[in-house]
Amino acid sequence: MTGRQRKQFWRAVHAALILVAMFVMLVPIVWIFLAAFKTHVDVYQLKLFFTPTLENFGIVFDDPYRLGQKLFNSTIVALVTVVIAIPIATLAAYSFSRFSMRGETMMLVIILATQFVPAVVIILPFFVMFRDIGLLDTRVGLILVNLAIVMPFAIWMIKGFIDGIPMDTEEAAMVDGSSRLQVIRNIVLPMAAPGLLTSGIFCFIIAWNEFLFALILTNKEAVTLPIGLALFKGEEGDLWNLLSAAGIIIMAPMFVLALMIRKYFVQGMTMGAVR
Amino acid sequence: MAEIKLNNLTKRWGDFVGVDDQSLHIKDREFLVLLGPSGCGKTTTMRMIAGLEDPTAGEIWIGDRMVNDDLPKDRDVAMVFQNYGLYPHMTIFENIAYPLRVRGVDKSEVKPRVEKAAEQVELTQFLDRKPKALSGGQRQRVALARAIVRTPKVFLMDEPLSNLDAKLRVTMRAELKHLSRELQITTVYVTHDQIEAMTLADRVAVMKHGVIQQLGTPDEIYNDPANLFVAGFIGSPAMNLINGSVRNGMFVTTGGTQLVKLDAADRAKAILGVRADDMQVHDAGQGDIDVTIYAFENTGESTLLTVQWGKQRVIARGDRHLRKDQDEVVGISLDPDHLYLFDPETEDRIRI
Repeated sequence: MTGRQRKQFWRAVHAALILVAMFVMLVPIVWIFLAAFKTHVDVYQLKLFFTPTLENFGIVFDDPYRLGQKLFNSTIVALVTVVIAIPIATLAAYSFSRFSMRGETMMLVIILATQFVPAVVIILPFFVMFRDIGLLDTRVGLILVNLAIVMPFAIWMIKGFIDGIPMDTEEAAMVDGSSRLQVIRNIVLPMAAPGLLTSGIFCFIIAWNEFLFALILTNKEAVTLPIGLALFKGEEGDLWNLLSAAGIIIMAPMFVLALMIRKYFVQGMTMGAVR
Repeated sequence: MAEIKLNNLTKRWGDFVGVDDQSLHIKDREFLVLLGPSGCGKTTTMRMIAGLEDPTAGEIWIGDRMVNDDLPKDRDVAMVFQNYGLYPHMTIFENIAYPLRVRGVDKSEVKPRVEKAAEQVELTQFLDRKPKALSGGQRQRVALARAIVRTPKVFLMDEPLSNLDAKLRVTMRAELKHLSRELQITTVYVTHDQIEAMTLADRVAVMKHGVIQQLGTPDEIYNDPANLFVAGFIGSPAMNLINGSVRNGMFVTTGGTQLVKLDAADRAKAILGVRADDMQVHDAGQGDIDVTIYAFENTGESTLLTVQWGKQRVIARGDRHLRKDQDEVVGISLDPDHLYLFDPETEDRIRI
């Protein structure tokens, strides 16, 4: 092979590998998209061409499935989690980034270590505690659990962004006449805004997709969308068309958010989580 | 406007001593330069004056107030940082206006004052831009404007020119000097560049290992260095330091060459200091001593001859029209009125 042919060959291999990866990742999603618009009859056939119907989306919001209530629960739980988590995580991250405390590294490691504990291990104590104080099957309970899940992540990620703000800038603001809180409000927050937005969206995605805790800690009132999917396993077998329609409702906000933070995604991953 | 007094100021981090029990009195309206190599404690000293670093011991007075426990914002100082420290999310106008806004200056007053400061540093046409859209020199001007917009008691400048390219540094240096004469505000200026120190300062404090080695006018530290460190640090090229001894009123190099008459007591070990400018270059046989040229450099405004002197190399400055070549032999003579003698053990100056 000449140099040019070799180059073309490797370019083809490159393209083929990307296609395979895309295929592996996208096929389930494409399948769900198709199934959501198919009738109960069509759903078991791998047809690419069929008469699309919107009736599945109607059914899932009706009795007995009432997906609307679950959608509401999911939205409230995820939103409130983010609204509480980000300000607290920002203050914590600022402190970790700018002040030296005794045992600072230890604290950071412990915060990170909580992420390594398998959820299944701590779910029982959560269940017992929540039962005793009456938080079982409540949105408040779910918000608390989600906060525990996203906070360590948010602190580490936001700390990465704040570390990236030059100390000079903050010191200049202090000499210019700002108190510490004014420095945070006037300098740090605006400069870290893209990072805070990214972290917020990441947290929202985590809370939105959370499954295990919601499964164990809710049963009727506070059920969220991912748990709602289980409803479609009926006596007549799995209702794949309904399941797919609900799946799309779960995924849609994720796609929108992913588009929004595309620009910061890599930055967020490398700045916050990895460093 | 105010004087600054540092009384027995010390900064330690664990075992590391940043500033070691130093006292310094900076006069009202004085331009004082803290000069020294990196890690000598000059920036730490300045940061303690600004309140960005807490002293381990000692007192800091600005005017008639001890400011040790004051926050930076309450010390009424303005600071220019090496990396400018601009606020990237604000326009140039907002950057310059920030010290006024955060101190609650009346809004109607902000605009004229920002415009005046911008005019003083020739930034008027850039007020709507963000710092990102400016060059290094312009950014440094923004930092300057932000400092002068508010007539503080004290200016602190931390290597403000070191991030600029060589040509711009010279222009900005002159602008700084002009501005500081105009404003007449007590200024502390940190640099490792001895030319900046020489040109800008009313007085220079040369620092090393957290200790002020010499405090004096640029003239004094150049022409009358207190010790070996100051002698070697000030001047470009650096002062030649020749090892040898003093015997019977003559300085003898380590190699045994009798070099020059010195009115000093005999000592077994001594270092003779002589600046390149205080040596004359002659034809071979016509100077105090004949030496071989190791390298000949023409800088345009003068020539520099690095000559091999026994085992040591020495730099002499020649006339700008002088043309010599490597390995040629020339005669060198030393100006007896501008020789410095140092004790190699204590590094102190031996007065002659």
